[in-house]
Amino acid sequence: MLLYVIRRLLQLIPMLLGITLMAFVIIKLSPGDFLSEMRLNPLVSPETIERMRENFGLNQPLAVQYLRWLWNAVRLDFGYSFAFQVPVVWLIGSRLFNTVLLNVVGFAVAWALAIPLGIYAARRQYSLGDNALSFAAYLGISTPTFFSGLFLLFWAFKTGWLPIGGMTSVDFEFLPWWGKVLDVAHHMVIPVLVVGVFSIAGLMRQMRAALLEVLRQDYVRTARAKGLREPVVINKHAVRNAINPIITIFGFELGGLLGGSAILENVVGWPGLGKLLVDATLQKDLYVVMAALVFGSVMLVVGNLIADVMLAFADPRVRYD
Amino acid sequence: MRVIHRHLIAAVLAGALCTAPALAQPAPPRPGLSTPRVVEAADIGRYGGTFVTSTISDPRTFNPIASQESSSPTGLLWEGLTETNRTTTEVEPNLAESWTVSQDGRVWTFRLRRGVQWSDGRPLGADDVIFTFDAIFTPGVQSSLPDVLTIAGKRVGYRKIDDYTVEFRTEQPFGPFLRTVGPVQIVPKHKLEAALRAGGAEFNRTWGVNTRPADLVGNGPFVLASYVPGQRLIFTRNTRYWKVDKRGQPLPYLTRLVMEIVPNQDAMRLRFQAKQTDMYGARPREYAEFRARQQAENFTIFDGPPTFGGEFLAFNQNPAGVRPPKLTWFQNAKFRQAVAHAVDREAIVRQVYAGRATVRYGPESPANRFFHNPNVRGYPYDLARAEQLLREAGFTKGADGVLRDSAGNVVEFTIATNSGNQDREAIMNLIRQDLAKLGMRVTAAPEAFNTLVNKLVGTFNWEAIVLGLTGTLDPHNGQNVWRSNGSLHLWWPKQERPATEWEAEIDRLFDQAATTVDQNRRRQLYFRFQEIVAEQVPVIYFATPLTQPAFRNTLANFSPAPLAFYDIETIYYRTPYR
Repeated sequence: MLLYVIRRLLQLIPMLLGITLMAFVIIKLSPGDFLSEMRLNPLVSPETIERMRENFGLNQPLAVQYLRWLWNAVRLDFGYSFAFQVPVVWLIGSRLFNTVLLNVVGFAVAWALAIPLGIYAARRQYSLGDNALSFAAYLGISTPTFFSGLFLLFWAFKTGWLPIGGMTSVDFEFLPWWGKVLDVAHHMVIPVLVVGVFSIAGLMRQMRAALLEVLRQDYVRTARAKGLREPVVINKHAVRNAINPIITIFGFELGGLLGGSAILENVVGWPGLGKLLVDATLQKDLYVVMAALVFGSVMLVVGNLIADVMLAFADPRVRYD
Repeated sequence: MRVIHRHLIAAVLAGALCTAPALAQPAPPRPGLSTPRVVEAADIGRYGGTFVTSTISDPRTFNPIASQESSSPTGLLWEGLTETNRTTTEVEPNLAESWTVSQDGRVWTFRLRRGVQWSDGRPLGADDVIFTFDAIFTPGVQSSLPDVLTIAGKRVGYRKIDDYTVEFRTEQPFGPFLRTVGPVQIVPKHKLEAALRAGGAEFNRTWGVNTRPADLVGNGPFVLASYVPGQRLIFTRNTRYWKVDKRGQPLPYLTRLVMEIVPNQDAMRLRFQAKQTDMYGARPREYAEFRARQQAENFTIFDGPPTFGGEFLAFNQNPAGVRPPKLTWFQNAKFRQAVAHAVDREAIVRQVYAGRATVRYGPESPANRFFHNPNVRGYPYDLARAEQLLREAGFTKGADGVLRDSAGNVVEFTIATNSGNQDREAIMNLIRQDLAKLGMRVTAAPEAFNTLVNKLVGTFNWEAIVLGLTGTLDPHNGQNVWRSNGSLHLWWPKQERPATEWEAEIDRLFDQAATTVDQNRRRQLYFRFQEIVAEQVPVIYFATPLTQPAFRNTLANFSPAPLAFYDIETIYYRTPYR
């Protein structure tokens, strides 16, 4: 197993090389660079812009730029942001916690609700409850997050029950620690609801389908025939066998913890990585984009790896060696 | 909600106030300050309170010298030698209490206000001014200031006369001197000296957004208390500030200033309407709606001043970018004048700006009260006149309704603009419809901003464009656009010698105005420049949008003017709550 994990992690290296090289080339091939906007400023001379391009190293050949970036990145130096003149790592770090917090809470809420709901729906297939849940799930899947986000913000504005966007109140710094926790929790209701509803819908359908598949199996009939109580049949025999695809999804979502909610963050003004990275991409703040890409890729691979390892524990049939 | 929060703050702060009575009852101006600067305002204010505004972007740096954006909050922390009065646009003393200029207009001597202290209590003197300019001219320091401080190819010279006197020397008399050197934000030598010694690259990274707020020692009305990325900036009153009100009481009145960072304009609006912020710059379309609500929701929306910018249409006259016959049409002044007559500006004002704009024909906005020439050639909507001009230029409209030039070429071209800018896209489409009436076949093509910039200043491969540039107070700062050798001379950049007589005259006018110190004379020269542009219409203007700022009635001393909506130091709370 350890060998397998090591092998998987080693596979990361060529993959990261490929991803970063491709991203670098694509960013470079698209027209303009970070200094484009400055070129339309009457107060900035072309010589100054040329000097800046030199300072940023943007005048070097593409291969040199990439290799220089790579060499620094290998030593975990991701460079400075063009726009902010601060280390990229600091910039990402300043928003990382907020994004992770939102996604982890959303994730936990979604899983805590979706799994039992999926089981319920599978057990009472085509019942009124199942149909109602199916309908709600379709609604949830087909509502884009920006729309539900805007809708909830508008509702919050009309009722005044919840804050309209942001993560903290103006007087946050004056609050005692428990007040701060409550304040953030208050601000999180809308984004968590949006993130949660969206993934609950999908997850629940997955869980239902997987369980239905298993419930038709002979060993479930056998278990029931043995006279086992229904909760034992479901939880111990059926769910345990139906959980594999769900674990794979879990790993995938784990990888998406860093990104995934950029649009939502922008709509509700959550101070996470989303807006930062979207802006950086639009402005071609090269090193910020590259660092985010590297972090995102690593998270995705590690998330999937965790899922695979969990799969081995959950299902004795899965062996990697 | 807001009210509850404020009472909460009041309760929390009540304790703190006992130990800091100076806040509640400000002491008279510090002894030693020779002549505090008096700021005129409608009312004498009261002390205390928080003013909450919102902004769309995070600051990129707190370093006022390396900062490239005008919207950055550094203006609250650092000020310059002189200041432009936001209403009259005249230059007034600031950190310098007076100045003199030599007979030949080349030597400027500034006397600094004595007794001004940095926010950490150190005295501010000539050494700081000299250091600031040293930093600007240090190689590797990321600043566009050297561009504007290089006059006739030579940098402005400067030296210290004594601890409170600084002298500047220019190679030639320089007309916009005060407006160029005056606003440069003076930074503290004792805090930044080490960083500058470490080199330009290190200096650029100093005072970045990851700086401890306490390190940002300033001379402005506020000091930074905290910055939470993506959330807010909190400023508190600089108790060592050197400006006073008419009664001699120290400014600013406010205790705190909060800038909430929000994702977009809609969020700004929602927060204002939910009473979470105190100010909102409404869009033209929202003016009527806000007017109807202002009483019920306890705010005031102003019929604000015009903006400095404005969108325009330009035709490419660069032989490196377009070929005849298009080049021939675009270079023909009659063709451009016909287009100028064929665009229904009233429709643009109505449809794009919801009536919140004024029709415009010249390159300077009326916001620029001193330099704006109101009497330039106008192009009222007149299709008959446009058709006549086209006939004079040899164009004929056939029986099929299509316009052709004298050689029989169908007049068709593409107008580009940057996609995503709704105003520009709307203007572009209105122009397309208007020109269709003349028989021109116009394609409207929004493009990505970067692509467009590249065409404009790189490949020159474009035909017509709808764009807007940031307006500047002194027309001299537009020389990169208007002089024929300018790199932003939109219709034909970097000409080796002026292609037309009128471009040559504009060049001469800009040269002359740059080296004239008498402002009234400069004004005449720039008046002539505006007449030429309006006559030749290389760039066709349509409208000047108006602003419509809304302020909550709990605060006072707002008086929107073209340069700013208020002087932050005189804003006060009508009913102080702490």
